[in-house]
Amino acid sequence: MHELVLAGGTPFSVQLNLLTPLFDGIANGAAYGLLGLGLVLLYKSNGIFNFAQGEFAMIAAIVTYVFDSGTGVLPNLPFFVAALLGVVAGVLVALITERLVIRPMFNRAKVILVVGTVGVALLLIGVEGLLPYPKTEQLPDIGTVLGVRPYVAKVDQIPIADQDVAKIVMLVVLAIAAYVFFRYTRTGTAILAVSQDSTAARVVGISVERISAISWGIAGLLGGVAGILLAVPPQGTLTPGAFTGSTLIVAFAAAVLGGMTSLPGAFVGGMGLGLIEAFANADAAFVPGLRSVANGQAELAVFVVLILVLLVRPRGLLGQES
Amino acid sequence: MTQLLEVEDLRAGYGSVPVLQGVTFSVAEGETAVMFGLNGAGKSTTVNTIAGLLKTWGGKVTFDGEVISGLPASEIVKRGVSLCPEGRRVFPQLSVRTNLELGAWTNRSVQAEQLERVFGYFPRLEERSAQMAGTLSGGEQQMLAIGRALMSKPRLLLIDEASLGLSPKLTQTVFQVVDQINDDGTTVVIVEQNVGVLPYADQALVMQKGTITFDGRGEALAKTGDLRAAYLG
Ligand SMILES: Nc1ncnc2c1ncn2[C@@H]1O[C@H](COP(=O)(O)OP(=O)(O)O)[C@@H](O)[C@H]1O
Ligand SMILES: [Mg+2]
Repeated sequence: MHELVLAGGTPFSVQLNLLTPLFDGIANGAAYGLLGLGLVLLYKSNGIFNFAQGEFAMIAAIVTYVFDSGTGVLPNLPFFVAALLGVVAGVLVALITERLVIRPMFNRAKVILVVGTVGVALLLIGVEGLLPYPKTEQLPDIGTVLGVRPYVAKVDQIPIADQDVAKIVMLVVLAIAAYVFFRYTRTGTAILAVSQDSTAARVVGISVERISAISWGIAGLLGGVAGILLAVPPQGTLTPGAFTGSTLIVAFAAAVLGGMTSLPGAFVGGMGLGLIEAFANADAAFVPGLRSVANGQAELAVFVVLILVLLVRPRGLLGQES
Repeated sequence: MTQLLEVEDLRAGYGSVPVLQGVTFSVAEGETAVMFGLNGAGKSTTVNTIAGLLKTWGGKVTFDGEVISGLPASEIVKRGVSLCPEGRRVFPQLSVRTNLELGAWTNRSVQAEQLERVFGYFPRLEERSAQMAGTLSGGEQQMLAIGRALMSKPRLLLIDEASLGLSPKLTQTVFQVVDQINDDGTTVVIVEQNVGVLPYADQALVMQKGTITFDGRGEALAKTGDLRAAYLG
């Protein structure tokens, strides 16, 4: 009943051509947005791209896993306690990164700091590789944790997974919380002040070091939450470097698309790229002539959209003029 | 008269390059001291070191009888020394009001009272309080920078080159407000290259190559024509 035949192509299927890519896109978009949020936060506060964000997420996911499953000598804790420890681990790693890598290079060119974060990412991937835990495991999804059915509802036979709903809800909640934090709290305002003129911030008596630690701590928290939500079935994994190798790059593109300094932009950019990827990857054979497109169309579509947006709006979709 | 600020044999610099070669002067409570000197003489280095932005290499700074050199900048602001830095340095993408509120970062209890005081000196800032600081004119940004420095209710206000890039008329306005601030009880050290500030000065200092080469009353420097020729170019 859902078939609509277009001239020269195969029948159009609402399920295959519309709903599946729509849901997949939103789910992946939420993942990009979750990682992108931490990227935007650090760009807003330090003016740098943090390439270690994916590994902050991975550390949190690993720590959650080992406590949730009681790996080795560790206690087998309830999932939410393990997740809390995971987030704490993400925050700690971010704070250590700030103290040992960022702060000593505070007054150096931004590009050096960015390279520093690449170094941290590589180091963390190495450290994760040495940790004794099963690398191919996954975290349980929220449906398993709560002992409920794995989907909220089905639309035209396609289940809307609990986990995807959890990701989107968490992304919206975190994006709003971060927005409120910057807009309405003294500490949030101080972070903006330091990013706009760190000398002036010191002049009014703001401790630039403390503000730097706070913003990295928050980035670690955002990364940690992202990692715990993303390292789940079907695609998620606890393999060292997995987030950095796949999600992080698209999350960067999403953050740039959204406007790099805009927290809602991370959401919009993430969703936008998730959907573009999903629709580009979907079976498009109903469109005459598209049958022959080879693999890689998703990456190509992401790239084309990113370039087009940046050509028309160099500040990104929601970025502000500076 | 009691000395509010005492700078003794102060030494500071950048990297391994010394700039201040033993700077000594003091400023009495309630007065306005003007520091003149050519570009590169070390005036900004002096006030930045006093404010704790630069590390003190040697010597000491005493404020109200307590040594403040070596303290972090935030602690120095808390004790009552506030700097209006060279080049204005407002927060461009924050509103005028938020810029001012940040000035009271270390002393929030005086924020409301000081905001009223600053708007009294600079009514223009009140009109533009919702505007982004980066969109203000140069003169307005200078007013904002001075206003922000007042927000912590300092006993000592250090102003670095307030007149830079301002029209002669605006410069006079700024000098008059600084004079008013001083009359209201704040001790002021103002770094200037514009001798037009001299009528407002109780004390005059001339800095040359990292040391103070003239320290006297304002009128004395005004009379010494050769000093002007030699030190002010
Ligand atoms: N950030 C800096 N790094 C290195 N040298 C500096 C820096 N700022 C100033 N200097 C040098 O210190 C000397 C004094 O500068 P400054 O205190 O700014 O002089 P003034 O304010 O009297 O014009 C100059 O030789 C200047 O080149
Ligand atoms: Mg100077």
